[in-house]
Amino acid sequence: MIAGPVAAGAAVVAVQRRGRRRPHRRSHVVTVFRPLAELEVTQLPGSLKEITDGVEIRLAEAPGGRGTEIAVRIPEGSSVTDGEVRRALRETRSLLEAGDVLLPSGPPTTVPTALNRPLQMATQHGREGGLL
Amino acid sequence: MRALQWQGVNKLAVGTVPDPQLRNPGDVIVKVTRTVTCGSDLHLLGGYIPFMEKGDVLGHEFIGEVVETGPDVRNHRAGDRVVVSSFISCGNCWYCDQKLYSLCDNGNTNPAITETLWGQAPSGCFGYSHAMGGNAGSHAEYIRVPFADVGAFGIPDAVSDERALFASDSASTGWMGADLSGVKPGDVVAVWGAGAVGQMAARAAVLLGADRVIVIDRLENRLAQARQHAGAETLNYERDDIAGELRERSGGRGPDVCIEAVGMEAHSPGPQFGYDQLKQQLRLQTDRPVAVRDAIHACRKGGSVFVLGVYAGFVDKFPLGALMNKGLTVRGAQMHGQRYIPMLLDRMAKGELVTEHLATHVMPLDEAPRGYRMFKDKDDDCVRAVFIP
Ligand SMILES: NC(=O)c1ccc[n+]([C@@H]2O[C@H](COP(=O)([O-])OP(=O)(O)OC[C@H]3O[C@@H](n4cnc5c(N)ncnc54)[C@H](O)[C@@H]3O)[C@@H](O)[C@H]2O)c1
Ligand SMILES: [Zn+2]
Ligand SMILES: [Zn+2]
Repeated sequence: MIAGPVAAGAAVVAVQRRGRRRPHRRSHVVTVFRPLAELEVTQLPGSLKEITDGVEIRLAEAPGGRGTEIAVRIPEGSSVTDGEVRRALRETRSLLEAGDVLLPSGPPTTVPTALNRPLQMATQHGREGGLL
Repeated sequence: MRALQWQGVNKLAVGTVPDPQLRNPGDVIVKVTRTVTCGSDLHLLGGYIPFMEKGDVLGHEFIGEVVETGPDVRNHRAGDRVVVSSFISCGNCWYCDQKLYSLCDNGNTNPAITETLWGQAPSGCFGYSHAMGGNAGSHAEYIRVPFADVGAFGIPDAVSDERALFASDSASTGWMGADLSGVKPGDVVAVWGAGAVGQMAARAAVLLGADRVIVIDRLENRLAQARQHAGAETLNYERDDIAGELRERSGGRGPDVCIEAVGMEAHSPGPQFGYDQLKQQLRLQTDRPVAVRDAIHACRKGGSVFVLGVYAGFVDKFPLGALMNKGLTVRGAQMHGQRYIPMLLDRMAKGELVTEHLATHVMPLDEAPRGYRMFKDKDDDCVRAVFIP
């Protein structure tokens, strides 16, 4: 019972760590529900703009009226990390679609414990991890 | 303010926490007037969804009064009586456009956890672990509601607090199960589980014109409610031969639609229960899928199975052979509340959908740990415990 949260939280963190060290062989991509005609690489809102110098960004029309695919590739030697790109892509999508980026509720009601430390580490980087 | 906090596996306590604040311009703060236990909370309580932190505030099914609005809020004003969808959705992404609100791309601040577990992340939910965004829940005096123009709905004067409360989660969930599994006039529908969710699914199936609706549980008080308030027939799985009865009551075909409203802590009188419980405790499987197995086995050829019960990970002995060879459609979802709440409120106003009988126990928020104990153990015929902060 007690091993559950630790193991699961640790698994998420471990996947993120491994993700950070992996050589970048593919692009990170999101689809935003906005027509291609409305978007321009240099005008994308959010922190994607701050890292445009370090990455290659491509826009393409998504099939079936699903909007626009934003693909980001990190070139060899760039200092930009996968985590930064994932977070930027999620924020850009939210800004384009919802006009805002949801913040976690607050002030926090939780207390740090030995058991929840891995989970707190994972959620502090909630938009950087994952599979995007 | 006072709030019910998760303190560890099977440990709850009411404590004092900071008042919630507006964080985004589309937020409102709601003063909670009624908030209710849900079967989903039992999975958190028991540690089956291991993404809780000590101090997290539980609760996702609630109504209240708007007390503060962010600058971008258009549809609500201080003083409004509102019911809020348990899932948080932006209203503007592709999924929201398809009315698949619990799949919203922008409503979960921690998408990494579920993306890693499941491949893609569903949206966020109130009081439902850090995998679902870590949003403070409704078992509190106040709650912050993000994207309030999308997820909060004014309650018509004709609908009482007692009735409107359940539009927030259980009625929306039940309706979704009947709707998305394609219930239509002439269908025979079987529903596993006579909790609030199963009863609401059964009532939805009746209102959508099903010819026969059969609810299965072992708790007689809940089955009696399903007969009285949903207009369903009932079977008791500790007494009746469920597979045989369902076949007989559907002309030998099997039910056209099977809705599972039990979840990953399903109970079973047969030997498979011990097997599943042991495997779950050893973490060889995370969920006990007894009712889903039965639903797939009972369903008519080419029929439809909807999984409303919450599952977190993996199940064992999943009858893939029956699913494939009988040509079944199996679907599941977290609830798309925004899609159904206005229609449900309308039906509540007309008296077609009643819910107040579900609130078998009403108590002050300070007694919430007792309420959860009763709800978990089904003590004193508890169907749902409602808390008044
Ligand atoms: N999909 C969603 O968005 C959503 C929303 C709300 C609740 N849920 C889930 O729906 C499920 C039911 O919720 P609830 O609040 O009604 O819970 P509940 O615990 O009150 O009811 C579950 C019922 O299932 C019965 N049951 C147990 N094993 C059974 C079996 N093998 N066959 C038939 N019945 C069996 C129990 O006796 C109980 O009456 C839970 O898993 C909950 O997490 C899902
Ligand atoms: Zn619920
Ligand atoms: Zn959305």
